[in-house]
Amino acid sequence: MRIKTFIATYLLFLFILFLSVGIVSVYLNNSQINMLKEKSASQYQTITASLARDITILQNRYQHNMRQDIFYDAVDTLIIGYARYYRRHNVYINITDLTLSERDRSSPGSEVSFINIDDRRFIYISGALPYPFEHILLEYRLDITENIADMRNIQNILLLSAIIFSIIAAFALYFILSSIFKPLSVVAKASGNIADGQFCERIHVKGKNELAQVAYDFNRMAEKIENQISFLEEEAVNKQQFVDNFAHEIRTPLTSIYGYAEYLQKATLDEREIIESAEYIMNEANHMKNIANSLLELATLRQYEPVKNEISISKLFDDISQTMEKSLRDKGARLICRNDADTIYGQEDLIRSLLLNLCANALNACEPDAGIIQLEAKELPTGKVAISVTDNGCGIPADSLSKITEPFYRVDKSRSREFGGTGLGLALCKQIAEAHGAEMNVNSNADAGTTVTISFATFTTS
Amino acid sequence: MARILIVEDEKAINTLIKKNLELVGHTCVSVFDGEAVFEEMEKNTFDLILLDIMLPKLHGFQVIQEIIEDVPVIFLTARGAVADKVQGLRLGADDYIVKPFDMIELQTRIETVLRRSNKADKVFSLCDAKIDFSSRQAFYKDELIDFSPQEFLLIESLIKNRNIALSRDKLLEIAWGYDYGGETRTVDVHIHRIRKKLGWENVIKTVYKLGYRLEVRQ
Repeated sequence: MRIKTFIATYLLFLFILFLSVGIVSVYLNNSQINMLKEKSASQYQTITASLARDITILQNRYQHNMRQDIFYDAVDTLIIGYARYYRRHNVYINITDLTLSERDRSSPGSEVSFINIDDRRFIYISGALPYPFEHILLEYRLDITENIADMRNIQNILLLSAIIFSIIAAFALYFILSSIFKPLSVVAKASGNIADGQFCERIHVKGKNELAQVAYDFNRMAEKIENQISFLEEEAVNKQQFVDNFAHEIRTPLTSIYGYAEYLQKATLDEREIIESAEYIMNEANHMKNIANSLLELATLRQYEPVKNEISISKLFDDISQTMEKSLRDKGARLICRNDADTIYGQEDLIRSLLLNLCANALNACEPDAGIIQLEAKELPTGKVAISVTDNGCGIPADSLSKITEPFYRVDKSRSREFGGTGLGLALCKQIAEAHGAEMNVNSNADAGTTVTISFATFTTS
Repeated sequence: MARILIVEDEKAINTLIKKNLELVGHTCVSVFDGEAVFEEMEKNTFDLILLDIMLPKLHGFQVIQEIIEDVPVIFLTARGAVADKVQGLRLGADDYIVKPFDMIELQTRIETVLRRSNKADKVFSLCDAKIDFSSRQAFYKDELIDFSPQEFLLIESLIKNRNIALSRDKLLEIAWGYDYGGETRTVDVHIHRIRKKLGWENVIKTVYKLGYRLEVRQ
């Protein structure tokens, strides 16, 4: 691109430069020649006129003497004088008496022409003197070899300077083009890098020209691609994690089911052992059913648009305390409800299962006979309604906090399984919250308890 | 028989393994997390440890690195990736079994590891019969009894999996190999002979629709 532009521009420049140099030198040449022609023509006129006059004077002086020979001598001397004089001005004069030379030259005109003699160039004019000396032919030659050489010199100087200029111009053009194309090559390099998969590449172009705009748009594109790619990579990692977890999650109950079935089939057992083994099989099958249901729910919720209705919070809280009553009593825990808000909008069964899930988690975290769970609804200054579930249980370690909403992630694997958890509860909670446009935040201090807050984004019907 | 420590946080599976191993006469102790391994090992000595990898408190790979006693370890885990297997074996495990597993397979692998560490039983006696595994000889009332190699393999697997029913197919596979095209009737014929030669008519039980089981009262 840069080379092409360089060649095209440079050729155009050379063409214009040498064309103008050619025109100028032709013009100079012509005007010089014309000037010389005019000069020689006028000189010729002067010579003929003054020669005719001088001859007339001599004629008058010597005619009455009838000294024809003296007259001729005088004319010869005159002519030699003329020739000598003009010789100094590079002019050669030659006079021929047509009557004496017996040459028949019918009406020789005073034509201007060029002739070459011995490698020298002359302007040549020949013609008869004016009346009454028509029989005398005057040949006039002006030596213009020097002038022509001068002109050649000027032409050569012009050509030489044109060549020098074009070399300088070549360098100048190269540097100008380089500085213009530099941002372009930066863009080209960066796009090459991006094409090779280095999506973190950015272009730095200063100024406010078109290239800067290109660079800006390019950077935006690169950023979008980078974000998209990292999002996809993260998704792929999550998917892989999910599949791994799922395989592990399924394998454990399967091992039990198969193992106990095999045990029933192959060992000699008493009735108690048979019942126990069958119970294990049924429990594990049940657990798998729960996983299947939760996964299905999770998949459904992913694209689900909840049917939102007005839900009275006090009624919702009453409902939850009633449902939780038995399990609370079994573990010797207390549930405290505090309600400072009126209503939220949402799908009631989903919201209820969300809060029940959180309360069950809270209860599991608590020590027996010491658990206090607080269920709280608050209207925030921003117009949002925040519902929070707080427990005084074992808390969640800081490094696990970011992972607890991942499917099958368990902070304490064995504990969670003991309570029959599928490892999908919080993932479901998050999914429900997101389907309602709400935000779920978990705050926890190890050994001090956990607070899960759900902020319902808009209070109005959407 | 061997003393085996079962480290498995899944209560159902832990119990299952324990029950199965106790059937063939091993003594088992169950623990449910990584740290309990060391508490238990201070109190008792074990001939073998069955170790899960995903354990609460202490990861299985860490547990095996911190065991100082010279005890064979078999990993028993849901993690089936080759990288995990390689790592497990590299850390010094004697075997690596992926869940879900077959009980007979587990018994066989345990038996193999025990034999390698010379912890397996060398002699087995029941009724008037005595089997010597190291010399591969069988005696009835102190009299050497002649057995074909297949018959001895059948006796051996019945003893190693005592109280567990072995299917005819399984027995055929054990004694004659995978690609033996014979009928399962062959197994019946040989079992009949073994019963007669060792006087085990009442201890080798026929299990309905399945195969045979050597019943030994503990």
